[in-house]
Amino acid sequence: MAKNEMLAMILAGGRGSRLKDLTNKVAKPAVYFGGKYRIIDFPLSNCANSGIDVVGVLTQYESVLLNSYVAAGGRWGLDSRGSGVFVLTPREKADEQLDVYRGTADAISQNIDFIDSYEPEYLLVLSGDHIYKMDYDKMLKFHKEMGADATIAVRPVPMKEASRFGIMNTDSEKRIVEFEEKPEHPKSNLASMGIYIFSWKLMRKLLIEDMKNPESSHDFGNDLIPKMLETQKSLYAYEFKGYWKDVGTIDSLWEANMDLLDDKNELDLGDPSWRIYTEDAASLPQYIGKEACISHSYVTQGVRIDGEVKNSVIFTGATVGKGAKVIDSVLMPGVKVGEGAVINRALVAENIKIAANTKVGKKDSEDILLVAKNVKGSD
Amino acid sequence: MSDKALGIITPAANFIHVDGLQDYRPVGAFSFLGRFRVIDFPISNMSNSGIDRIQVYVGGQPRSIVEHIGSGRHYNINSKRGKIQLLFSHKNDSTSIYNNDVSYFYENLAILERAHQDYIVIAPSYMVYRQDFNKFIDEHIESGADISLLCHKVNNAKEAYRNCCTINLDKETKEFAGIGYNMGNTKEKLIFMDTYCMKRDFFIKLIKEAKSISSAYYLANIIHAKRNELNVRIAPHKGYFAALTSFNDYYNASMALLDIDMSESIFADESWPFYTRTTDACPTKYLESSKVCNSMVSNGCIIGGEIENSIIGRNVTIEKGAIVKNSVIAAYSTIKAGVRVENTVVDKWAKLIHTEYIAGTPDKPAYIKRSDTI
Repeated sequence: MAKNEMLAMILAGGRGSRLKDLTNKVAKPAVYFGGKYRIIDFPLSNCANSGIDVVGVLTQYESVLLNSYVAAGGRWGLDSRGSGVFVLTPREKADEQLDVYRGTADAISQNIDFIDSYEPEYLLVLSGDHIYKMDYDKMLKFHKEMGADATIAVRPVPMKEASRFGIMNTDSEKRIVEFEEKPEHPKSNLASMGIYIFSWKLMRKLLIEDMKNPESSHDFGNDLIPKMLETQKSLYAYEFKGYWKDVGTIDSLWEANMDLLDDKNELDLGDPSWRIYTEDAASLPQYIGKEACISHSYVTQGVRIDGEVKNSVIFTGATVGKGAKVIDSVLMPGVKVGEGAVINRALVAENIKIAANTKVGKKDSEDILLVAKNVKGSD
Repeated sequence: MSDKALGIITPAANFIHVDGLQDYRPVGAFSFLGRFRVIDFPISNMSNSGIDRIQVYVGGQPRSIVEHIGSGRHYNINSKRGKIQLLFSHKNDSTSIYNNDVSYFYENLAILERAHQDYIVIAPSYMVYRQDFNKFIDEHIESGADISLLCHKVNNAKEAYRNCCTINLDKETKEFAGIGYNMGNTKEKLIFMDTYCMKRDFFIKLIKEAKSISSAYYLANIIHAKRNELNVRIAPHKGYFAALTSFNDYYNASMALLDIDMSESIFADESWPFYTRTTDACPTKYLESSKVCNSMVSNGCIIGGEIENSIIGRNVTIEKGAIVKNSVIAAYSTIKAGVRVENTVVDKWAKLIHTEYIAGTPDKPAYIKRSDTI
């Protein structure tokens, strides 16, 4: 087998409980986004486009759907010889009593045998629930140039919001001198994106030590990174400029979808040089009916629109009946909006049926309404 | 699934020429309904019928077909037991009388003889329809006929289906009386869908016999010549059927699918998907100014203008202030602001920029060449 310079491990075990009913049955990385994608398509496509051949996906919570989804590595072009997407769920091991991942670092530690089998120089650790386009190869070049033990991708956030993030304080050479988790009085506005490149030999050693440490919560941010700083390892901040979103809540998921309607949106999913790959659907193109009216919207194949759609994102196979209005809303795959129904500022979950002539959501509501149950008519 | 039959997909005959579009690719590679190519239909029908060993005779200008079919994985063909085989046997000049189906089959006789399936199903790459071939084969076997021919009764044979074969029936017995050509002399015709089922051994015998009689013979010709000895069964097809044998037929067949009830009659059944190669295009963005009605739009487009009764391929840009009516716009084309297009087929990568008005008529649609800038 060809040696892999850098192996990627995607942490996809989280539930994302603030997404409420959307993550009842699926893990957050499997949540739909942008008309035809799932969130995990972004890190997977980034890996494929960055020339990374082997990707491990660490799953845990409600992982059946996610496991089968990512196992089809061909979708992202990760299916050539020596390449693959590997689903790594917690395994019962002969000599240890481990059956869950106890933290982000523990998830990697429990798969040291898998990583070792590819003999990588570097390990890329990613989060499976962020939306962004990034060339990890550029980050690796930076890591090598700096001769770093670890490189952490950061992005500038507004200073007043900095206390919500893990903040990296750096010197003028981009070397990280201090890491503060949600600091009350932030000294910098460089927030960690949860994207790490580690020189594997060293990290392997640190992980084994960490596994044995009963005090540790086995988390990169809480334990490993502080430990590395403490022991004077060289950690560098790699500044990423571009679109990045952690869609932790219904409002932020809705917002990220709405961002796609912005002409200046930096995510630009149409860029042919950095495509985001996803599951292929066999369907008609989208059909816009005789009495339909559609403006400022993002619509994918298999959709049928006979009503009015404005400022909305419509996913694969959703239908909007005659006289219905969908405004400032997100309809996930297979949603059926009956004739004359009106939907305002809502995020409607997969395969939900909205009965004819019903009203869902309010025009000026502060929060976005999540519709995760069928809406029945009055009769 | 059934391993009864070997699937064979044939290119259009040498006397069929679709003006404009066919200068760049064979009919099977024509874009159809925005996101498909014509050949997706016969291959999907076979795949859905459990036929997973398929030979595709490519014909002239093979690049786009080869690129599109590739390994055939996207047609849901079993990657170990199944196979899509691309066969090249076209002579250089596509209009040559030596380019006929019998000569392709004859050149690949060894492969046909080695196959282990008892039956063959032949379907054309230049017609669009939905058909369960499993049913077609079963009914053929049950009938005890030598050959089954799929056909479709039409009442517009004067203006459409030019150059298609027709099935002649005996005036009295209403039984098969031979295969002819549609000369456009009567409205009602039984159009032969160039779709056959027969035993593989029988097929090989017919090819050899045809070859020994005439180098210009088509399979249809030998069946016609032997019409009195053969037991030929006519299998009627119902539902949407298009033969893309002329430019007008292509345009009209596309427009007919803007009737959403018609298109859903073949596409809505989830157990019968029509597969195609994905291009990973993102969804389509409709701008504030867009006005769209009764149209099919593929992914990856940016729509700022007006569209009515049209089919829009992938990654097309229609700027604010542009108007597209009754037209087929193929992938990667651009219609600039201020341009009005009516009753026109715009081929791939074309740019309509320095013009105000391009229009054909419903009877005589206009055509804009591939990669042309106007």
